[in-house]
Formats: sequence, C-alpha cells, structure tokens
Amino acid sequence: MSDVLRARGLLKTYRRGRAVDGVDLTVRQGERVALLGPNGAGKTTTLLMCLGVVEPDGGTVEIAGHRLPRGRSAAMAHVGFAAGYLPLPERLRVGEYLRMYGQLYGLAEPETQALRGLERFGIPHLVKAMGTELSSGQKTLVGIVKSTMHDPELLVLDEPTASLDPDVAMRVRTGLAALCQERGTALLVTSHNMVEVERIAERVVFLSAGRVVADGPPLEVAARFGRDDLEEVFLHLASERQASEHTEGLRP
Amino acid sequence: MTAQRFEAPAHVPRELAAWLRIWAVARRHAYVLYRSPHRLFDVTVWPIVDTVLFGSLGVYFVSQGGPNSAGQAGVAYLLSGIVLWHVVYQAQIAVSTGFMEETWSRNLLSLMVTPLRELELVAGIALFGLAKLVMGVGVVALAAFTLYAFDVTDLGLALLPVIAILLMGGWAIALFVVGLILRFGNGAEALAWGIMFVVMPLGGVFYPVEALPAFIQPISALLPTTHAFAAGRELIDGGPVPWGELALAAVGTLVAVAAALAFVAWMLRLFRRRGYVTRYS
Repeated sequence: MSDVLRARGLLKTYRRGRAVDGVDLTVRQGERVALLGPNGAGKTTTLLMCLGVVEPDGGTVEIAGHRLPRGRSAAMAHVGFAAGYLPLPERLRVGEYLRMYGQLYGLAEPETQALRGLERFGIPHLVKAMGTELSSGQKTLVGIVKSTMHDPELLVLDEPTASLDPDVAMRVRTGLAALCQERGTALLVTSHNMVEVERIAERVVFLSAGRVVADGPPLEVAARFGRDDLEEVFLHLASERQASEHTEGLRP
Repeated sequence: MTAQRFEAPAHVPRELAAWLRIWAVARRHAYVLYRSPHRLFDVTVWPIVDTVLFGSLGVYFVSQGGPNSAGQAGVAYLLSGIVLWHVVYQAQIAVSTGFMEETWSRNLLSLMVTPLRELELVAGIALFGLAKLVMGVGVVALAAFTLYAFDVTDLGLALLPVIAILLMGGWAIALFVVGLILRFGNGAEALAWGIMFVVMPLGGVFYPVEALPAFIQPISALLPTTHAFAAGRELIDGGPVPWGELALAAVGTLVAVAAALAFVAWMLRLFRRRGYVTRYS
C-alpha cells in the first residue's frame, strides 16, 4: 500500500515553547488512523502542518506524492477536511455551500455530487436550508459531506463527532467506514472520545508534549502502557503532562 | 443513512480548474451581497451622499463668485473627482471587505484546505468586486448627471486609461490592507475604511499637488493617484490627452501593485509560519 500522507521530522516552536518536536506520521492508502493526545500535545499543530496551513520550522510533508508547500494546491485536491468546530459560512444555503466547495475541488457536476453526499449521510432535506438554521450536529454532517464529495484519497477530520448525539455519530462512523472500504480513502482523525476512536481507527498515534509516544493498533497501544483501553492511556498521559507542568512551575 | 455506493465524480479539465475556483469565489460573494442588503449602502447611499456633498460645495462656491468665475471649473473638478474617486474606493473596499468576510465567517481554514490558491481567492473577490464597482461608480455618475448636469462621459475615451489606473491603485491598497489583516488580525480591519481617508486628501482627488501644504507635496507627488486625477482634470479643461501624467500614474501604479503583492506574500508567509489561522477557527 502506498503512503497518502508522509510527514517526517516535523518541528514547530511558538513563543510559548516547542509545540511539535520531531513528529513522524505516515498514513497509508485506505488506512484509518487516529491522532490522539491530551490538550496541548501538539495534535492540531501537527494536523495543520500536514495540511499545509501552518509552515513547519523543520521537517517535510508529502501528500499523494506532492511535496508541501510547493505542491499544496495539487495535494489538496486529494484531501478532504472537516472540523467539528468550524461553522458553515452565513448567508449561504447548504446546496450553495456544497456547490462552491465542489467547484473549488474541480467537480464537473458539483450539484449532483452535493445531493449524493447529502443523501449518503441522510440529510437531503437540508439542501435549501441556510447555514444559520442548522443544529451543530447538522453542520458537522454537512461539513463531512463537503469533505467527501470529491472522493479524496485522504480524509482529515478534527473532532468530527464532538457535537453529535450517539445516533448521528453512529451514522457518521458507518458512512465513513463505507467510504474507506469502497473507495480506499485513508482517514486521519482526532478525537477526545476514545470509545469512538477504538471503533473507527485501526491505528492510533499518541502525542504527548509534541512527540509521538505510541503508534500502533489500539489494543496493542493500550497493552504497551499496561492499560485496558485507550481511555486509560489518555488519562495516564494527561496526568503525566499535568505533573510535568506542575514540576516546571515549581522550578526557580 | 442510505446504502448508496460511493462513485468517483467527474472533474473538469485541469486547465479549467483555476477559472472554476475563481468563479466559485466570485459567486459565493455575490450570495453574500444578495443576502445582506445593508451592504448595498457602500454602492448606493454612500456614492449619492458623496455626490451631493461635493457637488453642492462646488455649486455654492460658484454662486459666491459669479457665473464667470473660476469656480465654474471647480464644480466639474469636484464632480469628476468624486466619480473617479469611487473607482479607487469601490475597488479597494470590495476586495478588502471580501477578504474580511472569509475571516468573519471563519471560512479561511476550510478554504486553505482546498486546491484554491491565494491569488485565485483574491481574483475571485476582485471579480465580484468589479460588479460592485460598476454599481457604485454608476450611481455616482448618474447622481452627478441627474443632480448637477455633469456628464462624466463627456471626458471621452481618454477616461478609460484613467479608470484602469485608478482601479489598479484601489486593488493595490486593498492588498496592503489584506496583508495587515493577515499579520494583525481583525483588529486591523478599521484600516480598510480609514486608509481611504488618508489617501483621499493626499491623492490629488480634487486639487493639484501645489494646493497642499509644502511639506506634504512630495508625498502626494509620489502617489500614482495624484497623477491619474491630474490627468482627469486636464481632460475636464478640454486639453489633449495628458500622456505624461498618464505615464507617471501607470508606472507608479505598477510599482504600487508590485509592492503590495510583495507585502501580502510576506505577510502570508508570516501567517503560515506563526499559525495565525487559528485566530479564525
């Protein structure tokens, strides 16, 4: 299987300190990977560097064979991105919003793809709704439709189900699993919901203090830390982080 | 959830993709204007207010000096000045507020994770901005004709290069404002309007450089708009096409556009390096 995303030695330092410290991240075709870690672990910065939105201080990123930043535009044609925290632009109907993004992705029939996407995720009735009229869960679903309508090789989802009720979250998971299976789409997802991650991801990458501290199948990673599940690994890393921050705070 | 299968969608030919992206952005901004009628203020009410203000000033001074006074030409200077000023103003405001719309709606991050290039975003906004410009300048010209019997088309075809230069000048200012917003965030957005109040008195809109206080004159002479407006006044006076002023204005505008592009590219690099996109997500 070829690599859809290959990031090597990513470094990023902000004024408050080192955010990402030599992260290597590979996602292969059709693979479902979760990027995990407590707040401040460097997940979002890593994700944004992989998407070419933030420039790394060091390291390289390659998507579908296109090296960033030079090949950013070509690379992004192979990427879909949705985040639970991003709103839909106001003053656009759902259909207009999806058509716009379909055109940005170069689709010949963006309206048709938009409708197919809405049907796929069970929300065709929203096509004429204004972005401001949607619930947060509906916005998330529309965001996922937007990110999948051009058949991306890599789908990046940042906290995709944070605002969804369990029923809708399950529909999203099912839809994403079908997409990955039928189209060989690779998935890179961040989430604080470890139960969900265990259901979606076949591989997890744990970050702590900007470094990769574990990389492997969920159960193997849990076992490596001597824990029963990812939730416990997460709590363990978060408490380690808190202790380290507390110690640093005590230093003269 | 339906059991619909995923199918590979058809894409437009690669050479058309960039045009389609520019069109998508322009269309998105057309929807914004259509759904926010209050934004029509900039292209309807404001141009009429400006025309009435400067037209009436001119009429008043003429009435003080008598019908054969030099003030007669002053009315035409003021009205042609305000018509042409709206080319700069509308071009600038359309592009800078168009960019700000993407920050207000927190759409910037989503746009940056598509094949859309930065210049295509600006081109799309500017393309729709041209429609707003036609509306805004059309309203000023119509108001000047209706209220003061001033027909800007009397200046002839030589007006076209003047308009083209002023259009480019407006875009250069807009790029500068976009660069400042990239660097300083939405706190810098007041500049979109404020900067025009600086350019207007310095840019020779209604009077030649010599009318300004001596220490400001060198700054005014450096601005390409000063020479474009001076060319407009020579056309009002019925003289030949002022190629010298037009050339100075054209060269100055090209330098300004190049400088603005370099500035916005620099700010964009800083924007990516410092992760400022998180301000809008």
